[in-house]
Amino acid sequence: MKRLSKDYSTTKKRFSILDIAQIGIMVAVIEVSKFALSGLPNVELTSFWLIMFTLYFGWRIVAVVPVFILIEGAFYGMHLWWIMYLYSWPLLVLIAWLFRKNTSAILWAVISGFFGLCFGALCSIPYFVIGFSTGGFAAGIRAAVTWWITGIPWDFVHCAGNFVIMLVLYKPISQAMKWAIRSNLNSN
Amino acid sequence: MKNNKKPIIIGAVILVALIAVFAVVYSLNKPATSAGSKQITIEVTGSDGLTEDYTLSTDAEYLRQAMDELAAGTEFSYEGTDSEYGLMVETVNNEKADYVTDGAYWALYVNGEYGQYGADSQPVANGDTYTWTYEKAQ
Repeated sequence: MKRLSKDYSTTKKRFSILDIAQIGIMVAVIEVSKFALSGLPNVELTSFWLIMFTLYFGWRIVAVVPVFILIEGAFYGMHLWWIMYLYSWPLLVLIAWLFRKNTSAILWAVISGFFGLCFGALCSIPYFVIGFSTGGFAAGIRAAVTWWITGIPWDFVHCAGNFVIMLVLYKPISQAMKWAIRSNLNSN
Repeated sequence: MKNNKKPIIIGAVILVALIAVFAVVYSLNKPATSAGSKQITIEVTGSDGLTEDYTLSTDAEYLRQAMDELAAGTEFSYEGTDSEYGLMVETVNNEKADYVTDGAYWALYVNGEYGQYGADSQPVANGDTYTWTYEKAQ
């Protein structure tokens, strides 16, 4: 299964109108998916889309992630969870980029599941900072670990959801993205 | 790395091992509950600083169950939303704390100490006092 993202992602040096439109559509897809699944705690498509967009739309993801995070903050308020978003989603994009040559749905499912499992631990970092600022290192560790442990059952849900979603959707969405990219290249 | 099975196997093993480690950590550290009848006090301190207290005999293991029992038998009431980290209490005794508007929230204290858990993971122990206090972020 060959991927087209390399050619596609290096054909443009600067933002074109098409790039801006694509970035907008990618953010919209993430937001709509997130809203649609908001009734299911920790079952989300954001991880899936960020991985797929990184694989197939190359550098454009560098604009997608901050726009997505800013929209989330504007909609729901820039509270503590928003700080977590600032580093968690860019980290996922970085991981996806590092593994970009992989085309195995199972390995992508494992990577996505791994991210879901560790999401709570990642998000406990601000609690360490809060605890550290009020009671020193030990208080920071205690605050972060307590918060992380409380959420472990939900991290399992996150892990399972990410794993299954990637396993089921990776191949069909890959095909759709390749088709979309090929159509775009042919029309230019 | 193209569809080589080795990284898939290694990745799957690491994921399963990590799940096992997380499960052990959780089972060793999850809040301990106690069965049987307990006598507890639930207090509510609203934005006006006034406190109402309710005593309750309950078999509930977690505070949320005890609050449900209390709400069924008295004028005490609460509302909230379930999130990935448990119940987020937003309204107590018909007073809503809106963090988005003015940074207000309902804080939970256990025997005067700031609570470590949410209502649905806070264990109920005999003789404990649970206080919901309307607070505003500094």
